[in-house]
Amino acid sequence: MSGDLAERQAALVAALVAGGPPPPGFDPAALAVARAALLRKRAGEVARHWPLLAAGLGPRWAVTFAGWAAGRPTGGSLRDGWDLARELRERGTLPPLGAEELAAREAADRYDGHGPPRPRRLPGWGRAGGAVAVQVAGRVRLLRPARR
Amino acid sequence: MTGPWGVGIGWRPEIAGFVADLPGLRFVEVIAEGVAATGPLPAGLAALRERGVTVVPHGVRLSLGGAEPVDPARVAHLGAVAELVGAPLVSEHIAFVRAGGVEAGHLLPLPRSREAVDAVCANVARAQAELPVPIALEPIAALFDWPDDELDEAAFLTEILERTGAFLLLDVANVYANARNSGGDPAALLDRLPLERVAYAHVAGGAEHGGHYHDTHTDPVPPAVLDLLRELCARHRPPALLLERDGHYPPAPTLRAELDALAAASGFPAVT
Repeated sequence: MSGDLAERQAALVAALVAGGPPPPGFDPAALAVARAALLRKRAGEVARHWPLLAAGLGPRWAVTFAGWAAGRPTGGSLRDGWDLARELRERGTLPPLGAEELAAREAADRYDGHGPPRPRRLPGWGRAGGAVAVQVAGRVRLLRPARR
Repeated sequence: MTGPWGVGIGWRPEIAGFVADLPGLRFVEVIAEGVAATGPLPAGLAALRERGVTVVPHGVRLSLGGAEPVDPARVAHLGAVAELVGAPLVSEHIAFVRAGGVEAGHLLPLPRSREAVDAVCANVARAQAELPVPIALEPIAALFDWPDDELDEAAFLTEILERTGAFLLLDVANVYANARNSGGDPAALLDRLPLERVAYAHVAGGAEHGGHYHDTHTDPVPPAVLDLLRELCARHRPPALLLERDGHYPPAPTLRAELDALAAASGFPAVT
């Protein structure tokens, strides 16, 4: 193992996903192409985990996701979508389908924004954009749909 | 359990019904990280196993090309999935996917340097020591190169294969993408690779964005990739071919036509 290769790999990953500067000698234009491709791939993976959020944003999904994710390393598709949905909720731009998906997820699992989400052992509820979901014994029900 | 043979397809939950209905299918691949090591297998995959279909676990997160030692828990998971599906071999990439504790989210290229060859070979050896079956290594499609390559692609890959004794998983679409994006001749690379070490080959679709060909796995297989597949088969036909599709799934007739095109280009029997 070499410290040099390790450091250079870390600098490259930082440049691609964490807003770091292009490492010396790399073609910045080619890195930009790779950065965009990584974001497209990641957007597709997050959409698989958050299909209603992505569907609710429709044609704006790719741009919305890329705008949020650029410079922010992935925490995994489940958490990426969760963090984005919460941020859109704060901004007041979460679409109704995404609000219902977020409410259902928050009712089912506890997620502190840092570690992996954990299933709630006790009954729980979640709300977003007017949507209210409750979970009892692991079963989630949408009590009230989101405002439309 | 036999090695992969004929035309296969990457098993994904979204197309499990389509795959289950392929009468001649003898080989699928499954993303290893998507299978629980303790089981049970997804129902569709278990049914294929009962039919005698060969299932090869394909890892995407080992990061064999990382300068850090490969994570033993990830190797153990890959090995457990191999035993769960009774696989004859597993496959992974010559790439790294994380560094300095940060996930890149996809396969990144290595410098074609002696130092990187050493790092890959050390990690492959660590994995081989724990895996219950042989491993095949897949070169990736890269959108950029490191600035200080000491070896060309063929020499880089050949040295890794010779030193590790691993099989080659040759991705025809990756060879095409790299040649097209760097202005090289894809067939010339085929002439310099140890084709007799190919355990199976990947074929996938892609698309052009902004002057670069992207190996997306979400677009149709272009005619040029099928042409390159014919070139490969003319030199040394691999024992098996696998169609990779990872999203934007087309209607069943379109996907069947892609499988038929692989069979026609290689001379393998149609599986549809």
